[in-house]
Amino acid sequence: MDKQKPEYLRPALIAGVIAGLLSGLPIISAGNCVCCLWIVGGAAMATKLLAKNTSGILTSGDGAIVGALTGIVAAVVDTIVKIPLQPYNMALARRIFEKVSEFGTEMPAGLDGLLDGSSGFLSPGLFLLGLFVSAAVYAIMGVLGGIIGVSIFGRKKPQTSPPAAPLPPLPGPGDAP
Amino acid sequence: MSRSGISRTVIAIYLLTVAGTAIWLSAIFLAPVLAGRGSAGAARLIYDAFSPICHQVPGRCFTFHGHPLAVCGRCLGIYTGFAAGLVLYPFVRGFSKLELPSARVFLLLTLPMAVDGTAGLLGIWPSPILVRFVTGAVWGTVLPFFFLTGLADLFLARRRKVARTLENIRTNNVE
Repeated sequence: MDKQKPEYLRPALIAGVIAGLLSGLPIISAGNCVCCLWIVGGAAMATKLLAKNTSGILTSGDGAIVGALTGIVAAVVDTIVKIPLQPYNMALARRIFEKVSEFGTEMPAGLDGLLDGSSGFLSPGLFLLGLFVSAAVYAIMGVLGGIIGVSIFGRKKPQTSPPAAPLPPLPGPGDAP
Repeated sequence: MSRSGISRTVIAIYLLTVAGTAIWLSAIFLAPVLAGRGSAGAARLIYDAFSPICHQVPGRCFTFHGHPLAVCGRCLGIYTGFAAGLVLYPFVRGFSKLELPSARVFLLLTLPMAVDGTAGLLGIWPSPILVRFVTGAVWGTVLPFFFLTGLADLFLARRRKVARTLENIRTNNVE
């Protein structure tokens, strides 16, 4: 069965935007703490969308491509969404660390500086560095999610129609009803 | 493509992945070492680099040289499991065939981590760091079998396409 060339961009954009939004919003973004759940899950969903729109069987290479694209889109969306939410996220992180330290756990060295420094203005250089690192990490996680997605969603059984049953003979004019 | 062609590609990707994993794990342990030696700025860069993918809550991280690692116990388990999977890969799969693990195997190995994570989130049980590490490691062990297969398949498909294009050009030139 000839396989049409898969269209990677559309599923990656759809799944990447959703994964990026989930990764950027406060509290919900904690899902990424479970091995980039939103990114891996988003890439797997992108594979499902790709499988739906592609005839034939997807290869793991297809999953890798769509997963990487999903990760990059998610990183861009995540970074943009986090810009206005940065002060709120840092305040939330500080509250979490203070809560944890009530149980006697020390904050890592330099964390105070990190939280104070990050709640203010972010220089363009640091912004681009953060975007680059996020894109690289999310792309790798996306590749993984895409390949896992192929394993779950991408394998279609070849459609073999059962042999047609012979049609019953049509009743003739002399046959009783 | 010949089996030797497949093997060469898989081996190359395997070695690159081993190198990348070694660097990744080293960075996780380097952050607390730098923090302990007073290089807070350098340590912060590494902690920052891992922050998009890990909550880094100190109470959930193993410590090294008196400071938390750059990732939590579960993430460390996943990356350690990934490294273990890389060690197992040549013996379990070899380098001459490309085959994804079944979805069933993946879901089975995800189950311990999912149960532990969900139970911890719902407050059913406290989920100690060691349990997080072990459940993460179980899941991480299967990941190289997806990662290497997918990347190798991608590169081999590209090489086949280039080879077909060159063959077409050669055929057209002969005609």
